[in-house]
This record gives sequence, C-alpha cells and structure tokens, in this order.
Amino acid sequence: MSANGELMVRVRGLSVSYQQQNKEIPALRDVSFSVPKGSTCALIGPSGCGKSTLLYVLSGLLRSWSGEVLVDGAPVTSCRRQTALILQDYGLLPWKKVYDNVALGLDIRGESREKKYIKVKRVLNEVGLWEMRQRYPSQLSGGQRQRTGIARALALEPDLLLMDEPFSSLDALTREKLQRQLLEIWQEKRMTVVLVTHSIEEAIFLGQRIILLSGSPGRVLDIVENPRVGEAGYRKTAEFHALTTKLREKLVPERVEISGGAGRWK
Amino acid sequence: MNGRKWASALYVTFSVTFLLLGWELLSLAVNNPALPGPLPALTAFFRELAGGLWGHFLVSSYRVVISLVISLVLAVPCGMVMGREEKVDRLVAPLIYIIYPVPKIVFLPVLMVLLGIQDASKITLITLVVFFQILVPIRDAARGINPDLVNSVKSLGARRRDIYLHVVWPAVLPEVLTSLRIASGTAIAVLFFSETISSQEGLGYYLLDAWSRAVYTEMFAGIIAMSLLGFIIYTVLEHLERWACPWKYV
Repeated sequence: MSANGELMVRVRGLSVSYQQQNKEIPALRDVSFSVPKGSTCALIGPSGCGKSTLLYVLSGLLRSWSGEVLVDGAPVTSCRRQTALILQDYGLLPWKKVYDNVALGLDIRGESREKKYIKVKRVLNEVGLWEMRQRYPSQLSGGQRQRTGIARALALEPDLLLMDEPFSSLDALTREKLQRQLLEIWQEKRMTVVLVTHSIEEAIFLGQRIILLSGSPGRVLDIVENPRVGEAGYRKTAEFHALTTKLREKLVPERVEISGGAGRWK
Repeated sequence: MNGRKWASALYVTFSVTFLLLGWELLSLAVNNPALPGPLPALTAFFRELAGGLWGHFLVSSYRVVISLVISLVLAVPCGMVMGREEKVDRLVAPLIYIIYPVPKIVFLPVLMVLLGIQDASKITLITLVVFFQILVPIRDAARGINPDLVNSVKSLGARRRDIYLHVVWPAVLPEVLTSLRIASGTAIAVLFFSETISSQEGLGYYLLDAWSRAVYTEMFAGIIAMSLLGFIIYTVLEHLERWACPWKYV
C-alpha cells in the first residue's frame, strides 16, 4: 500500500436498482468505499445484500447505476483489460478443455499461438494444473475447477481481480488450501483483489479491508481494517478470533442469534 | 471395453432376431400376400437393389439429405439470433408461433404449381417442415444459456462475435444435432408423401408403383429401403453428435 493512498477502486454514493415486473427494486443504496492499490478487500453481508451486484458494477458488466465508480482513477468501462472477474461457478465453458478455457481470454485478444502457449503453461503450472490441461471441466474436482478459473483470470495479467464467493462450494480442507494459494498469488503479484464472501472467517483471512454490508438494499454497515492478512499462522492468532467475534456481532444482531439465525455465519 | 462391445453386439443380434421373428409370425397370422414374411421380402429387396431400386434409393437420399442441410444452414443462425437478441425475438417470435402449428405438408400442391414436380418442390416441402422443427429447440437452447457463462466470457473482453463463437454456438450444437436426428424421421415421412404424388422416381414412387401392380414383395423391398434410409441418417447423426460434442461423453 502506498503511503499517499493511491487507490485502485473508489466508489462514492453508488446506488443500483433492478427492474422487476415494472417495479424498481433497490439492490444497493449510497455505497461508498475505496480499495488501495495492491491490497485485498473483502465484501461481506447477508444473501441479497447486493454484494454480487457490486462486483458486476466494478467489472463494467452492469451499466445502469448512479454514483461515482473509479477504477485506477478512471470511470469504469466494460473494456478495461486489466480487470478480471471470477464468478461463483467459475464460468468455465463445458465444451472447452482446461487449456482452452484458460486460453480463452487470450484467444479473444487475438494473441499468437506461441504467446498463448507460453502464458497458459505458466499460469497452469502456477496453480498446479498443467497435467490436467486436456481434461474437460466436468472431469475436474470443485477445487480444480476453481483453480482453472483463477488461472484463466491470471493469464490476462490483471491488476484488479474480482471474485464472487470464490470458495463457497468447496469442502473445508480444499477451501483453506485455496485461500492460502490465493494469498500466495496475491503476495507474489501484488495485484488488487476484491472478493465477495458470506464467510466471516474467509473475509478476515483474505481481506486487508473488510466492508460489511447490510441486507436489502445493501448499505455499508462498517469498514474494518485488518492489516495482518498474509502473516503466517494468522488464522490461529487470538486477534483473528477476536475479530471474528467482533464481525459476527456487527453482522448478526443479538436477537437473531437467539433464534438460531446465526448458523450461516459459521 | 471389449466385453462391453461383445455385449452390445449380442443385444443388437437379439433385437434383430426378435424383429424378424415377430414379422414372420405376423405374416403367418395374417396369411395375406400383402404382408409377405421377411424372407421373401428381403430376397426381393436384394434382387431389386441390382435392378431399379438402388437408383430410387439414391434419388430419395439426395432429396432428404439436401433438405436437412438447407434446414440446418437456415435454422441454426436464425435460432441462435432469436434466442440471444431479445429485440429480434420479440419481432419474429409471433410469426413463428403462428406458422409452427400449420401442417406444412398441405402446401405440397401449391409448391408443385410454383416449383414443378421435380426435386425443387419436394426439397422445399421437407425443408419447410424440418426448419421449424429444429428452429424452435435451437432458439430455446440459445435462450437458456446460463447468463453467468456469458458474463464470465464478456468479462474476458469478449464482443458479440466472440460470445456467439465461444459460447452460443457450442452451447446449442448438441441441441442442433439431437433435434435434427428427431426431425429426420419426419423428413422421410414427408419425402414419402411428396414422392407418391405425380412423381416418376424416388422410393415413394417405387413403393406406390409396386402397390398398384400388386407385387407385394417389391412393395416390401421399397419399405425396407425406406427404413434403411431412415436408419442410416439417424445413425450418422448420432455419431456426428459424439464426434462434434466430445464434452458430452466424458
């Protein structure tokens, strides 16, 4: 993080609403936050708080919103080449083998065969899937599919990586392994990572800045700084657990906890 | 793998035997020259093949294959665009909706007046039928593509052309081949009908000619040839699907 606060993402007064059966349904209201260059940021909140919508806005896929959204100092556009988006089900094409899925972004950019090969080989080796390059996504495990999605994003050498609940469909062990792998990749490349999650632990493990959103329409409840992200053994420290409790209290009001509604924050 | 091949060969032998046996029993029960048993029918089939039947078979094959190809070339782009471009769909869908249930076969007399009694009217009629039968499933398949898939590819910088090339086309391809395979049966039925009306060649003509001469074994030779045509097209399309959509079979 640069001292003078050079920002990768800056969102001010963002409001988004959907048209559904001629009714306007607000998804996000007056959301403001920023993400410094080269840092990680976790967006957390209940289902339907517009977390995914926020990512769509940042990626430029969603264009009808009001407010100000700057990515790397410029108003967001759909053709920003250095932004990579990984959606919840990784968006792998079932009809393309791992190699071709990872090469897709490069294909679209018209890269030459040789360049493509070098880049795809490098990123697939980084995520440990070069041996699986001839497989179809349906022949991979959930974790391997996720790594393929990450590899496809990395192949484009992004400076901003957006991830929508990247590890939610994985089993606990695979999830921890991939969370660590994501941190390693981030520490090596120092790109900006913005990820959406509904897991408090994941938000604390991965997000240097944690943005808490309230339910429909999504508003910013609080912004929590979490500078120890990436330190070895952070997950086992007392501070980690204290922060977990703190966030849980903020996100899940006491009375809901009594009725058992806290279950999904575990 | 080899064991499974043997098993499937065994099953095929069983079903063919069952079919021939049923046919033989039925012809014995009916006991009428209009329903000869498999042996005289097959004998006539192979004898006739060396005669005129082969030529009729080729003519019919040509008509039905050309029709399938034309339907494909027309219906695939139309279906993909209708499924993906809402504005186009809103404009064209009502039209399709009105024409779809019309039995296209009733246009044969009109087509014969306009296009003559040669290949053109028959091919047009079959195309008309098959086009709609594959257009609608392709449109629905294109429309049903998971939006996350499209968005993911868009986020990689894809333009409209890339979306069609990398997402829409491969997504509808299995549906294209399946619907074509199902439509091939209808195509042959329409072919038969069109060939029985003021026609001089083709399996439909051959069959009806044998019927009018009351040579029932030859009529059955025609039926066998027609069934074979259907079977070949069906099998080829099935293999094409396996070849063109390998991800479906892993």
